[in-house]
Amino acid sequence: MRKHWKSSAVSIAIATSLVMAGCSSGSDSKNKGNDASSPPSASPSGVSASGFPIVPETIKLKMFTRIAPVNGPFKDMPVFQDYEKLSNIQVEFIEAPTDGFAEKKNLLFASNELPDAIYRSGLSPLEAIRYGAAGQLIPLEDLIDQYAPNLKTLMEQYPEIRAGITTPEGHIYAIPGIVTLAAARTDKKWINKAWLEKLGLTTPETTEELYEALIAFRDQDPNGNGLKDEIPMTARAGLVVVNMMSGSFGLDQQLGYNINIDNDQVQIWMGDERNKEMLMYLNRLYKEKLLDPELFSHKEADFLAKQGSGKAGFFFDQTNNNFLPIQDQYEGIAPPAGPHGDRLQAQTAPIARDFGAFAITDVNKHPEATMRWIDYFYSDEGSTLLRFGREGEHYVLKDGIPYYTEEYAKAENQPKITPYAGGGAPHIISDRVASYINPPQVQEAQKQLDPYMPKVKYGAPMFDEETAQRVNILRNDIDKYYEEQSTKFIAGALSFDKWDEFRSTLNKMGIEELQRIYQEAYDKTKS
Amino acid sequence: MESAQVDAAVAPLRRPSGRGGRLLRQMAKRYDLYLMLLLPMAWYLIFHYGPLYGLQIAFKNFNPGKGILGSPWIGFDHFQRFFDSYYFGRLLWNTLTINLFSLLIAFPIPIFLALIVTEIRGKTFSKWLQNITYVPHFISVVVIVGILTVFLSPSTGPVNKLIEAFGGSPVRFMESAGWFKSIYIGSNIWQSMGWQSIIYIAALSGVNPDLYEAAKMDGASRLRRIWHVSLPGIVPVIVILLILDVGHFMNIGFEKILLMQNNLNLESSDVISTFVYTTGILKGEYSYTSAIGLFNSLINLTLLLLVNRFARKTSETSLW
Amino acid sequence: MAKQATLSRSSEDKVFDAVLYAIAALIIVIVLYPLIFIVSASLSDPTKVLGGEVWLLPKGFTVEAYANIMQNDKIWIGYRNTIFYTTVGTLINLIMTILAAYPLSRPDLPGRGPLMLVITLTMFFSGGLIPTYMLVKSLGMVDTMWALIVPGAIATYNLIVMRTYFQSSIPWELQEAAHMDGCTNWRLLVNIILPLSKPILAVMVLFYAVGHWNAFFGALIYIRNEALYPLQLVLRDILLISQSDVADSGIGLEDKILLAESIKYAVIIVSSLPVLVMYPFVQRHFVKGVMIGSIKG
Repeated sequence: MRKHWKSSAVSIAIATSLVMAGCSSGSDSKNKGNDASSPPSASPSGVSASGFPIVPETIKLKMFTRIAPVNGPFKDMPVFQDYEKLSNIQVEFIEAPTDGFAEKKNLLFASNELPDAIYRSGLSPLEAIRYGAAGQLIPLEDLIDQYAPNLKTLMEQYPEIRAGITTPEGHIYAIPGIVTLAAARTDKKWINKAWLEKLGLTTPETTEELYEALIAFRDQDPNGNGLKDEIPMTARAGLVVVNMMSGSFGLDQQLGYNINIDNDQVQIWMGDERNKEMLMYLNRLYKEKLLDPELFSHKEADFLAKQGSGKAGFFFDQTNNNFLPIQDQYEGIAPPAGPHGDRLQAQTAPIARDFGAFAITDVNKHPEATMRWIDYFYSDEGSTLLRFGREGEHYVLKDGIPYYTEEYAKAENQPKITPYAGGGAPHIISDRVASYINPPQVQEAQKQLDPYMPKVKYGAPMFDEETAQRVNILRNDIDKYYEEQSTKFIAGALSFDKWDEFRSTLNKMGIEELQRIYQEAYDKTKS
Repeated sequence: MESAQVDAAVAPLRRPSGRGGRLLRQMAKRYDLYLMLLLPMAWYLIFHYGPLYGLQIAFKNFNPGKGILGSPWIGFDHFQRFFDSYYFGRLLWNTLTINLFSLLIAFPIPIFLALIVTEIRGKTFSKWLQNITYVPHFISVVVIVGILTVFLSPSTGPVNKLIEAFGGSPVRFMESAGWFKSIYIGSNIWQSMGWQSIIYIAALSGVNPDLYEAAKMDGASRLRRIWHVSLPGIVPVIVILLILDVGHFMNIGFEKILLMQNNLNLESSDVISTFVYTTGILKGEYSYTSAIGLFNSLINLTLLLLVNRFARKTSETSLW
Repeated sequence: MAKQATLSRSSEDKVFDAVLYAIAALIIVIVLYPLIFIVSASLSDPTKVLGGEVWLLPKGFTVEAYANIMQNDKIWIGYRNTIFYTTVGTLINLIMTILAAYPLSRPDLPGRGPLMLVITLTMFFSGGLIPTYMLVKSLGMVDTMWALIVPGAIATYNLIVMRTYFQSSIPWELQEAAHMDGCTNWRLLVNIILPLSKPILAVMVLFYAVGHWNAFFGALIYIRNEALYPLQLVLRDILLISQSDVADSGIGLEDKILLAESIKYAVIIVSSLPVLVMYPFVQRHFVKGVMIGSIKG
């Protein structure tokens, strides 16, 4: 497998370097070392290929970014204050709150009102291709080659990164947040082991045992307060629960979509019998009030509050950060085996977890410097600065690993100082910077999942512009329909008698064409 | 009629003698009125007619990098796609039914309320009734939907508590396609009946009292007086408001519906305006949704012209 | 026989009155109950509200929710912004609407018909969100307060109402007489028309101000800087949005969330109060104003 990836990556690399040679000036004298202490070597554009400062004279860049409710202003974050001095690049962030971010991002492109770069932008592959093809985002492949030593090293180390972000024409329009720490790419399956013990139950190994355990949670007052206030099972709002459970029903999530790959055959499983089984199972849980009745209406905040309340029996989250004070009550379990014995942790992100985290626009006068600027965060040193701030003030080193000081380990302070909180920041998450999100309990929970991870995880494929447009049209209809109907199946608002109608509508909407397109994209990555 | 007006105003300018000269003199004499109009008319041209050129993207494949003018023409493809879409029928149906029910149910209620207010003898009570029913009008849509959510909440809302008290099981009102239209229209009535009744109350107070006296003399009961005197007296107002409502037939309530929408009620809450918003702005299909928006506006305009013409013929009242 | 008729009529009258009062009382209850419930819930112990114990009057009286709101910066920044948008916006609305409505109310203005048509048509046709956004952007108003004020400088419906008022309640003879005295149109407007139009001006202030106070969509589209967010957008966040943007974060939300849960009701009250308070001040004028303005369209 790996071999395939590598060869395709190499051929793409060759192709791009040929393209590049024709248009870039002075790509010869490049110091490709990523040792930050080596003396700066100036390139013709005045941008040093390595070392700091990046530019001899201060330049200013405008970046559009998303600010999560938990974050403080970016200009007050230690990482950006310190890095400005180090790099000699002044970044002015245009911050749009998460609520309304999608609207503003799209309007920015639609009206061609572009900043120099977009940071933590959450571009989808289709958006990256659309805006790249429109010329609004510039191709980054040669910039990465010359000015992003850290990123380049990572891309060589994990060839699937390059394959996952390069279009068939050989362009990279957006660079991802990279997560080499496996535990940061899955949501753990947290179960209330205190309740299990109290009720004399064993850890559920199958979906039916899980069902029995949830019933016990519901009926036997495991928290002993005499009230039926237990929430046997909950999840983030909407259909997240489907991603969390699909592996038990033999439904994988390959190519960034509802796709199984079997013997090189791509199969979109939305109309599959297996999916019907899963939805029926979830519907059963919902109907019997085992699955949180507020699943489709509660807010993120409500969900987190439920985690922290200790009233939840079974739920999914990446870390234990939201229930730290009562963490001893919970443990991570392996995916339960489904009716056909399937046991898979389908919900797993690729190493390039946050696609489209950073992109440079065509109005940027300093693309080289911008690339150098972002590249720093793909080193452990830069990532530490981003995630932990200043040594001594915000964190201390133990055995070379940064840990927050007591003050900044607090939930109300920590997200204020780092743009990673809230998700999607362009940087590397490795085990070197994960003391906070990967404590022993989370590592333990990950170990439970490890045996059931898919052998290979294909990220969302990159299409050429025309195909991307077609996929966009097909998926806008299909996804909307699928999400609405699945929600209704689970909530019991739609009877399973309508399953055939559901299938035939999916077919009418062109699910077979979509499958063919994904098959072709998959074949290309294999060849 | 409007074109006739335009002709009357414009035609003489081409012949600057006789009538035309007089017109010019009249205009010059009132130059300061035009001066006043300068700013507002410029505003109308810029903010209402300016963006109209953007409508062309409905016939283009809009590429933001090339801008509106530079994008390639593709004709009626987007319209075709919409008419062929799975959602076309549902969007049209929901848009039409929500508005039709609003017209049938919500429109007459303020008239009814106005009649009650004017018929009630105790003037203090009638003032209270008026003032209390205005109150909800001042509450924002966001807050209205917030109130609906807490009020109809399956776990804590009083409505479901009541249902439970009578032995029923809680209803997830906000997540039900079956309830959506009733809740939407019902809360609209709750919010705006008082406000909308103001106009009718005022109109009723303008009905000639002699007519009531005459009817009384004839021995007509109060109900009959309402029917034969009050209502006919306010027909022109009713007609004007009806026309205005129809003019907005296809796009009322966008914000509120958007705020109330979720996957479980989408079956009845998916309307053209919200679809344009979610597909256009959130998924970046600008051209496609412009075509849908244009289709929507055309239906609106057609309806408006039809109703206006009909009203002019039957009741001699019209918008222009 | 005549006597008999009056008798039966008066008893019929009584029945009729009784029915009227009954319906009116029912309407009052329907309108008021949700409002009373929100007020009571905002003053109650949150656990009692969650337990469904609050029916009519507050249970476990507490003003903690209000105290919490006092400490919420976002709400206060939103408040401040909204007050600003409302005052400046309404002022601009008034000026623009008067400037358009008065000349168009003059029967002796050549071209009045076509101009009205040009204006009326805009009520039913628009270029759509993207072109409008591009226009606002090209005027440099995106992410400034002007984006919430200038594009809505005139509401056509209000313009029509005001024009009708000028036409129908200010005698044309009066204006002609003033002209005879050599009064210019500007002075006529400022010294004669406006002082006679207080009711409609009050109504316009109310219409426009309520509109500004309750608006959120413009800000959702045009405003990025959270420091410029109006109150309604903050409210939307607190009351309605369920967002799950969180990959590896989420921390620290919990406290804020429980807080948000308990302040929901109080927030509704606090945000609606100013417009409700404003109403009685203009109420005297406005029945007359709305009426005369819209009726003789």
